Amino acid sequence: MAKDRGHTGEFTGPLKRLLFGVLVLCLLGLFLLWRIDSPRVERFRAQVTDRVVPSFDWAMGPVTGTVNILRDFQSYTRIYQQNQELRRELQQMKAWKEAALQLEQENARLLDLNNVQLDPRLTYVTGVVLADSGSPFRQSVLLNVGGRDGIVDGWAAMDGLGLVGRISGVGNKTARVILLTDTSSRVPVTVQPSGQHALLIGDNTAAPVIDFIEDADQIRPGDRVMSSGDGGVFPAGLLVGQVAEDPGGRMRVRLAADYERLKFLRVLRDYGNDGIADPGNLIAPRVLTDPTETPETADGAAAEGGNG
Amino acid sequence: MASTGQPWLMRIVYLLICLVLLFVQLLPLDTVPKVWAAPELVVVVTFAWVLRRPEYAPPFLIAMIFLLADLLVQRPPGLWAALVLLGSETLRNRAPGLRDLTFPVEWLTVTTTLIVMTLGYRIILGVTVVDQAPLGLSLIQLVMTLIAYPVVVLITQTVFGVRKISPGDVEAGRQRI
Repeated sequence: MAKDRGHTGEFTGPLKRLLFGVLVLCLLGLFLLWRIDSPRVERFRAQVTDRVVPSFDWAMGPVTGTVNILRDFQSYTRIYQQNQELRRELQQMKAWKEAALQLEQENARLLDLNNVQLDPRLTYVTGVVLADSGSPFRQSVLLNVGGRDGIVDGWAAMDGLGLVGRISGVGNKTARVILLTDTSSRVPVTVQPSGQHALLIGDNTAAPVIDFIEDADQIRPGDRVMSSGDGGVFPAGLLVGQVAEDPGGRMRVRLAADYERLKFLRVLRDYGNDGIADPGNLIAPRVLTDPTETPETADGAAAEGGNG
Repeated sequence: MASTGQPWLMRIVYLLICLVLLFVQLLPLDTVPKVWAAPELVVVVTFAWVLRRPEYAPPFLIAMIFLLADLLVQRPPGLWAALVLLGSETLRNRAPGLRDLTFPVEWLTVTTTLIVMTLGYRIILGVTVVDQAPLGLSLIQLVMTLIAYPVVVLITQTVFGVRKISPGDVEAGRQRI
């Protein structure tokens, strides 16, 4: 048997080497194909992810839950201190809640007075986070909602409070959300109250950089950052976070969404704004538009009445 | 010696270890960007197995595992898999020579292989103008991976019983390895 093994080893040597070469070439070919025709291969990637990750789902939930419980358990050691902090915060929150309620009532009254139509189509689908990117270089999460739930590339994803990222890559059962912290994330924002337009650029840190500001002097740490809706990718007015200045003097955004615990994400349905297609006609009296047809009495009179 | 049955069993064990590691990587535990990078354990396990028992980690299996990993963790598909395949094949060819030497020599070999792979990866990505990870972060990952190697080797030997072939095995089973 030992002899037999030795023989097969010699015999299959060149064949093995050939197969190995073919294997390496196939892999490199796939990489080149990805480089040339990225969307097709990315779709393939989304399909593979769609097939593989949900089959892990039964194990992922419990394991993630257990680890989180263990982590929380560590924090029990300073429970008294936390309790005090929470009480203090709760007190502050009550004040804010009161203010918010009053503002809400006032807002409702004013909206009612002005007969404002809010966009009724800004509804959302909520998904559970299945997996993260699995790599320290990419910041993304995988949701358990996908093409069958009507998710479309480019929609915004939020947690309860702030913007988290945008959908990029949709499978049938899963969709990938590129987080605002990813290096490939660029989101147009406005900074309130100065109303400056800027771009939020992810750089693989917890606080993305804010750049391309019209007038940087008007922006102060603590300003609120909202999505601006420029470019039509995002709905406008979603809360992103607060401006903060890093030690190097660059403006960054402290994100409002709780990135420590991304568990449920809302994907906002956004069908884009209806474009205004026709350039707008000249509004003129009927008489001027067709001066040749003079004596059509009844019709002309009706039109005059309409104009007046 | 169960030379026909055991390799398949151990191949399945190897596949399962890699899948579990991948699964742990994908768990949504840390969604905040970190300043350090965890070691790439799947590569470490692969190298440790290839250097000990090459027949338990055949090239085709390695290629499939790393292609799947590339697709799942958002790397450019195929490139890292091809590099790992080439690296593991280099180690596979050097395994008979390394068998009689001490562990530090083996560690050094793995180190050079990994450094060459990482350099090649970054150069190819640079040439094809693909977005790259920050250099600092990938250096941290490289160092962490190298630090993890002895630990993984220890676990591989004690828990899974994957050891280098000793003279006793050779007499019992084969003439030429």
